[in-house]
Amino acid sequence: MSDFRAERLSAVRAKIAALETGARPQVGTLPFGDERIDACLPGGGLPLARWHEVCAEGLETEIAAAPAAFTALMATPLVRRGEAVWVLRRDDLWAPGLLGLGFPPERLIQVCAKDEAEALAVMEDALSTVGVAAVMGEIEAPDLTAGRRLQLACEKHGATGFVIRRRPYGGAAKREAPGSASATRWRVASAPSEPPAGEFGLGAPRFEVTLERCRGGRTGQWLMEATHAYESGAYSLETTDVAHPLRLVAELGDRQLAPAQSFRLAG
Amino acid sequence: MAAKPTEGAPFALIETVRAVRRLSAVNEQASRLGLSVGQKATDAMALVPDLQTAEAEPAADADALQALADWCVRFSPAVAIDAPDGLFLDVTGVDHLWGGEAAMLADLKSRLAANDLPFRCAIADTPGAAWALAHYGEDGAIAPPGGQAPLLAPLRPAALRFDLETWAQIERLGLRQVGQLMAIARGPFARRFGQAAMTRLDQALGRETEALQFRRPPNPWFARLAFAEPISAPEDLARVAVDIAAKLCARLEAEGQGGRRFELCFHRLDGKAIPVQVGLALPGRDARRLGKLFAPKLETVDPGFGIEVATITAEGVEPIGARQGRLDTARDPTLEEGLAPLVDRLVNRLGEDRVWRAAPVESHVPELAVTRARPLAKAEKDPPRPWDRATPRPTRLFRRPEPLDGVMAVTPDDPPTLFRWRGQLHRVRRAEGPERIGEEWWKGPIEDVSCGHVRDYYRVEDAEGRRFWLFRAGLYSDPATPPQWWMHGVFG
Repeated sequence: MSDFRAERLSAVRAKIAALETGARPQVGTLPFGDERIDACLPGGGLPLARWHEVCAEGLETEIAAAPAAFTALMATPLVRRGEAVWVLRRDDLWAPGLLGLGFPPERLIQVCAKDEAEALAVMEDALSTVGVAAVMGEIEAPDLTAGRRLQLACEKHGATGFVIRRRPYGGAAKREAPGSASATRWRVASAPSEPPAGEFGLGAPRFEVTLERCRGGRTGQWLMEATHAYESGAYSLETTDVAHPLRLVAELGDRQLAPAQSFRLAG
Repeated sequence: MAAKPTEGAPFALIETVRAVRRLSAVNEQASRLGLSVGQKATDAMALVPDLQTAEAEPAADADALQALADWCVRFSPAVAIDAPDGLFLDVTGVDHLWGGEAAMLADLKSRLAANDLPFRCAIADTPGAAWALAHYGEDGAIAPPGGQAPLLAPLRPAALRFDLETWAQIERLGLRQVGQLMAIARGPFARRFGQAAMTRLDQALGRETEALQFRRPPNPWFARLAFAEPISAPEDLARVAVDIAAKLCARLEAEGQGGRRFELCFHRLDGKAIPVQVGLALPGRDARRLGKLFAPKLETVDPGFGIEVATITAEGVEPIGARQGRLDTARDPTLEEGLAPLVDRLVNRLGEDRVWRAAPVESHVPELAVTRARPLAKAEKDPPRPWDRATPRPTRLFRRPEPLDGVMAVTPDDPPTLFRWRGQLHRVRRAEGPERIGEEWWKGPIEDVSCGHVRDYYRVEDAEGRRFWLFRAGLYSDPATPPQWWMHGVFG
């Protein structure tokens, strides 16, 4: 009898999990390798075959350097599985910089789009292509329809999308659409680096990362470091079990974000 | 433009040669009245007072001939212009599309006649023989393979395109027919008339090859589709694009080849040709994929009164391996299935310069260190050294460095402690540098080289943790003009 009960319970649990994740089966996750973050994410890691938003504040809404660096670091493990496509609005992404962070530029196809609609169309096209593992797109503000289209494209072959929120220079800011179809939304800012004691100059790049919204998970705020950035030594695309390029340095206070909010938005 | 000459009246075109006005062309009536090309215009007017004249326009004639050459591509992809008034068409291997040379010539004649163009034409083994027959022989003559000699024999020697001097000598010797020239032994012939004349004779008889300058290189990868009724509906054009691509792709497949670029050309009723091109990242021969790539471009095709012929050519043809159907679906996707079609779609929609892969260039000047390579291009044999991973480089590099103001820096080699950029004040907390990058003095003229043409780069971090890449251009040599500071990139 207890067997039957346990079975029913696990079935109900699975159903609830499916409802929470938007009734879509989990394709896989990409764990950060630190329990403090992975516990907040559904399935214990960054959900794959979904799309994620990365945004910033102030000057970075136009330059989007910290979001680009953070996205490249997050996507580096994915690039081992297939090609990456970066949809740009301005031709200012610099391959030597990506290489320094550990992202292999020879696996990246860069596309420069004329306007927002074209950038979204290219993103969608790339996401639904076999052999593409990650697609980064610099988009000002995807509306709900565009978001759902991206999600459908992601599900076709399991590619993961990253929308880097970037405002084109000049012109008024686009009004943000209420709600979003993204799986997670990260707010990224550069944080002061800490060089090892007794050393001059800058330490490894650090980022203050806020998980603002997470479907089927919790929000949080962390300080992260790209420990192996600008380290000499060849990287290999073949090895699969390597540590995530981002290391968690400290957990920051969950300031004004109430966890209940994310569940409401997730519907 | 002068008014159209009255039908049946003598008419001549006049050109000015070395300040003398001479006739450059005369019509039949005028030549019957004794006028000839090269005559002075005043003499001609005296002879025939009611002669109608117009100014000759050689440039316009050349343009018209070129347009005609383009139009003739419907018959053969290899068309050479024979200035000022002739065209050579290489119809080798093309005539079967019409069902024989005679049928092809008849089609050409009826189409030219429909356009009101006076013409003479002939088909022969060699360009020289065809030229002779068209100019001096029977109009529409077709020399059987290897049989041009008897047809050429009764023609005047001028038919062999001799230069003026040789021609005058031949005339003076009383040789009136090509046959008489052919009878002369080669040695004496060459001695008497020169090697050039010998070459002309050999070219006409096919004993020596003649290189023609084709307006387009002859392309064996060519297919053609003609319609009984002119088409103009967009869906018909789309279907034709797939059909004609399938025709060419079947041939490519049979020979194990694939094309990189395809040009589809629609020939309209009014003689205009509208080309549409697509390119592929990897050579291919999939007609359905080509059709899909052509589809969005067909919107720009204006069918006018209708399209009667479509042609397609493949360029950049190279051997590709045969495709095998997949047995296991779980296998890794190949390039041909996923990425190559994506790159093709993007390149054909956005343009070739907007889709790229960054490739290293061996240069220490930051903005020159990256070049755009074609995505999916094969690796070079001797690839340039990749970028150094250990030297920190920004994620975003500005194409034009942006000036900084309010920079406070301890001279001569210290990083700034304070600077203003885009209206915001940044207080530097940590800094690295300088990394001195000089100009590539071996590239420019030696006089412009100066040790002052250097940039000192610093990686700085401001109080909020934002990391920038900035540089000082030049050295502190003259206290009156301090060097300028620039922002070149942001690390994030």
